[in-house]
Amino acid sequence: MGRKDLSVGKQRVNALLFFSLANACLRGRCVLLYGGMGANKTTLVNLLGSSFLSMDLDEVEDLMVTGHPEQTEEKIVGFLDPRQWTSADAAGSTQVLWTAWAQSNWKLINEINRFPSGKQNLFLEILQKRKISYAGQICQPGDTCYFATMNPEFSATYPMDEALLDRISACVPAAQPDFLAGLLLSERKQEVRDLASMLPRLTSQEFSSLPENVAEKSLTSQVELAILCLVRDFTLCERAPSFDKTQLSGAKPSLGLCSGCHYHNNPEAICWQVDEGLSDRVRQDLRAFCRAFAYLLDRDADLPVLKAIAPYIIWHRTTPLRSVLERPPYFGAGKLAYVAELVEKSINRTMNERAEINLIFSRAVDGELEAAQAIEELSTFDDPIARLDFIPTLEQMR
Amino acid sequence: MKLVGFMDAAYQGKASSRRLKTLQGDMIFSLEDLADQVGEKPSRAAVEEFVPQDKNQLDLLISADPGKKYGLLWGYLTSLAAERSPAPLMLPSRDYAGLELLRGTIILQEAGSHLGERMKGGKILVQGKAGDYLGQEMSGGGIIAAGCRDYAFRNMHGGYGVVRGDACKFAGLGNSGGRIVVLGSCGERAGWLMRSGSLYVRGDAGDYLGLLMSGGKIRVLGKAAKRAGWRRKGGTIRAGSFGPEAADDVLGLE
Repeated sequence: MGRKDLSVGKQRVNALLFFSLANACLRGRCVLLYGGMGANKTTLVNLLGSSFLSMDLDEVEDLMVTGHPEQTEEKIVGFLDPRQWTSADAAGSTQVLWTAWAQSNWKLINEINRFPSGKQNLFLEILQKRKISYAGQICQPGDTCYFATMNPEFSATYPMDEALLDRISACVPAAQPDFLAGLLLSERKQEVRDLASMLPRLTSQEFSSLPENVAEKSLTSQVELAILCLVRDFTLCERAPSFDKTQLSGAKPSLGLCSGCHYHNNPEAICWQVDEGLSDRVRQDLRAFCRAFAYLLDRDADLPVLKAIAPYIIWHRTTPLRSVLERPPYFGAGKLAYVAELVEKSINRTMNERAEINLIFSRAVDGELEAAQAIEELSTFDDPIARLDFIPTLEQMR
Repeated sequence: MKLVGFMDAAYQGKASSRRLKTLQGDMIFSLEDLADQVGEKPSRAAVEEFVPQDKNQLDLLISADPGKKYGLLWGYLTSLAAERSPAPLMLPSRDYAGLELLRGTIILQEAGSHLGERMKGGKILVQGKAGDYLGQEMSGGGIIAAGCRDYAFRNMHGGYGVVRGDACKFAGLGNSGGRIVVLGSCGERAGWLMRSGSLYVRGDAGDYLGLLMSGGKIRVLGKAAKRAGWRRKGGTIRAGSFGPEAADDVLGLE
């Protein structure tokens, strides 16, 4: 019913639904559904949980944790069983009563930004892990699908920590139902609960076999190369330690770091347009979601898939330069669209304009070309990847 | 797999390439961007080199609040916009409007300090009062304001300035040219260190009128307060009447 707002080649799908489905086919990834109240973010995840885990909607709803300032690790994960100190074998190992959420391999963190900043740190450990520890005891739910929902900044929300955002694989905006969707909802005669019972159910074998099916999809060489260059385009900085923007602490492009740099204000260079570099998790997430979308759409994991999904995997992890973001056509609100433009620019540049430098570098790495000669040839290119990545690597090989 | 094989598979034999274009100057969307290129205290020529040709972009820059940090940049941009505009340019009240203006017209409701500083041509009309340093070091063009604060037309070399109300202290300090007309009264030390040019005051003048002046003409229709022409070395001072301790060679009106 949702708007088909994601184009993968000629196929058009709803981003919110397909990122949630893709995440359900993967393990150890987290998808954040971001949007205003009543956009059916939580309902969607619970409906999918009901279908994928073959459970009643009520049971799935009991699995989620919801953010508020009084949430504690004991309420979320588990607590020490008080009976162990009064029973006869009190000297035995510590007993922890794990919550249903902790034991489930379908975890929804509802309203994640209503957890105070300090309590958000709890999820740093849990996200992308196969086990949870508490009081020296380990709970092993196995490979888990993580989902989170989040509202825009309201009076009772807290800022999200950058490290936590980096552990979120993809962030998808959830819009309110459009006109036609509203009409269909008005005409609906059944409750969500009844509809949930009509959804197809996966057996536990089918659910656990999904990651294997996704892994059978292989990425094309073009996608592998484009992903590597995309991450480097966002991360490289001539003035950062080791040319790595993720090393920056106080200095940022938005705070004048790029002043006087010859890449600054060059629309073809991406480095100066975003404050943060991308971690290696982005590379892993891009590869995983490319495969998952290719599996869902029954197509190759090719460049159109990468171009479609990459903005959703990057935009929540970066802060574009305000002076550019605030101009038309973004007006300060089109961050996803702006990141999509940067992604498109990077991929197009890699595929259309970086062939020569990539071939020179690869010939030097393979020993077909002298490193010194390759450096000399690469130095005639002003591309950040050639100057800040390839040449330093070849200098170490000399 | 060897890296060359990987690259060959990715590019499928299409190895076209192009150098990254550098030094693109068309991505200036804020005063911060411009300051990155030219610094916070640039010359007019430096600003002119980087200023966007697109009118909308220039309007966007002028609409931004420059604060103290980018006041000079904003001032140059207002002059460039006024020079390019076929119609008078309306501006909000901020410092350095019309800095080094060459031609064109600027209209302001109220003005901050340093209005029309170092201007060489064009006109500036202020419907309300202007701040300090009005028309400082101007050498051409003209400014008309309803009133002004201290140091109006300081070190003026040419052009004209009209204050339709009162001017505060030190009007025409160190002038070596140009014409100043104050239709109200002016504060103390008007025409101090004046070397050339003229100062006309329709109302009264404060103490030390023409202090240490060495040239030029001062004419006050009302009363000049005490010590008019004190230590004067040249030029003429005429006034309707003089207060105590006026110099011996000051003249009354015919």
